[in-house]
Amino acid sequence: MIDERQEELASLYALDLLEGAESAQFEAALDQDPKLQALVRELRDAAAALTYTVQATLPPPALRNRVLSAIDTAASSREPAPDTIVRPPASLFRAYLPWLAAACFALGAGWLAALYSLSRTEFSLTRTQENLAALALKSAGNQLEAERIVASHQLTELNNQLADTSGKLTAAQQTQAEADRLRLLAQSDSMALREQLAGVRAQLADGSQRLAAATSEVATLTHQLKSQGDLANFKITTLASMLNNSPQALAVAVWDPAKQEGVLQVEKLPSLAADKEYQLWVVDPQYPIPVDGGVFTVNPAGAARVTFKSKQPVNVINAFAVTLERKGGVPKAEGPFVLLGK
Amino acid sequence: MAIMLSYLAEGSAYALAAAGEAAEPRPRGHMTSQVTTEPSDSRERVDARLMGRLAKGDRQAFAELYDRFSGPLYGMAVRVVNDPTEAQDIVHDAFVTMWSKAATFDVSRGNAFTWAVTLVRNRAIDRVRSRRRRAELLANAPPADLGYATDEHAVTGSDALTQSEDARMVRAAVATLPGEQRRALELAFFGGLTQEQIAAQLREPLGTVKARIRRGLLKLRESLARRP
Repeated sequence: MIDERQEELASLYALDLLEGAESAQFEAALDQDPKLQALVRELRDAAAALTYTVQATLPPPALRNRVLSAIDTAASSREPAPDTIVRPPASLFRAYLPWLAAACFALGAGWLAALYSLSRTEFSLTRTQENLAALALKSAGNQLEAERIVASHQLTELNNQLADTSGKLTAAQQTQAEADRLRLLAQSDSMALREQLAGVRAQLADGSQRLAAATSEVATLTHQLKSQGDLANFKITTLASMLNNSPQALAVAVWDPAKQEGVLQVEKLPSLAADKEYQLWVVDPQYPIPVDGGVFTVNPAGAARVTFKSKQPVNVINAFAVTLERKGGVPKAEGPFVLLGK
Repeated sequence: MAIMLSYLAEGSAYALAAAGEAAEPRPRGHMTSQVTTEPSDSRERVDARLMGRLAKGDRQAFAELYDRFSGPLYGMAVRVVNDPTEAQDIVHDAFVTMWSKAATFDVSRGNAFTWAVTLVRNRAIDRVRSRRRRAELLANAPPADLGYATDEHAVTGSDALTQSEDARMVRAAVATLPGEQRRALELAFFGGLTQEQIAAQLREPLGTVKARIRRGLLKLRESLARRP
């Protein structure tokens, strides 16, 4: 019984696909198994039948002649069939010896000629194979050189790319480190700035309060200064009595230059006749005669408080004077001086 | 063997007047109308008889065998080496070997045509391997399927050869094989590749390729054995 393994080996053997030890082992088994031998024979026949799958093509007629000529040349070197070997009797051997020698010589010459022809053919074939091998070797060498050059270029290019990439990576890392440092710094600065801003805001609020207080104080001081300025500018003059009969008579005049008006307070002046009135004069050096300050009367106690206005603009007051004049007053003092103060 | 092929009708330019008898060669132009329908077993017997005469140095028997075998053998050699000139050298060498080794051929142990095919194929594959042109040859080979290759050097009027009954039978048997088995057998028989190279070319595991070859060859054997 032939198993699948042997069938497989027989199939491969029939197609000359077994090699080495596998082939030797199978041939050893083949020698011992007639059934296996029959199978191999049938498989070889089946494989040979594949020849018919190719379109049959008649070889050139010259080939036939060439083959027949070749066998004519090699006819004497062909191995004879065992049943065709005729052994002459020993007695005839000597008689035919010369003929045998001649025949041997002819066979030898023919054999040498055939051998020479075969050697030339083999030599030509070997030369062709050698040329083909040399061409293949050269082609392979060229291809390898081309591949080596291409690979070398590719390697150089890759190295350049790698160096370029490394440089970019280093630069990127440095940039990243700088960015991180700046970011940390910015964060730190931001916190400090925030703290500073809060301090400034507090200071600003405090300053605003102080400014408001200062503004208020300034306003107060301004008012005070204004008031002080006004008082400072006031002309306050005490008028003394010029009367012998009333030496205790007294008056105080206060002049406000800004308003061009003043207040006169008199005490203990003599009573007036019905047609008489006291008239106040303001002495300003810019005018040749004193400026009329108006008339007034006193109460029975001889006192009066009079608010007066100058008839003309007054810049500098050298003195105040009061005279006794006719009722209604006069443009230019005519009566005696009652009071005078500088 | 039942599958004994009609290489007489396929390859012979000289039909035999009668089996086992020497016949005068006929002009090739008469060949297509003189195709015989010799039964396979009869053809095997004729081949065996011719081989017997050849073993005794019968030049006429050799010429007859040449006429019977040269067509398919030359076609196969061209297919393997893809070079008509080289194929002629191979066929030449194979026939010279047949002449010189005929006495060693045991007709009881083998088929003469199979022996001739082996001689031609081995030489063709040796050439292909020695030139290291296997890859180029396969790449430039005719279409992959067996039995459909064409040859621009085919002899005009050879339709009778290619359409002969036995050739059609072989191709029909091959056509029944699954495509992957056909492809594996083609690479093994014509490509001169090793098992590993066939597996690499087919991109299949080595075990798968071996199994395909086994199944394909066994099925082909059975199909050819059923031939009437």
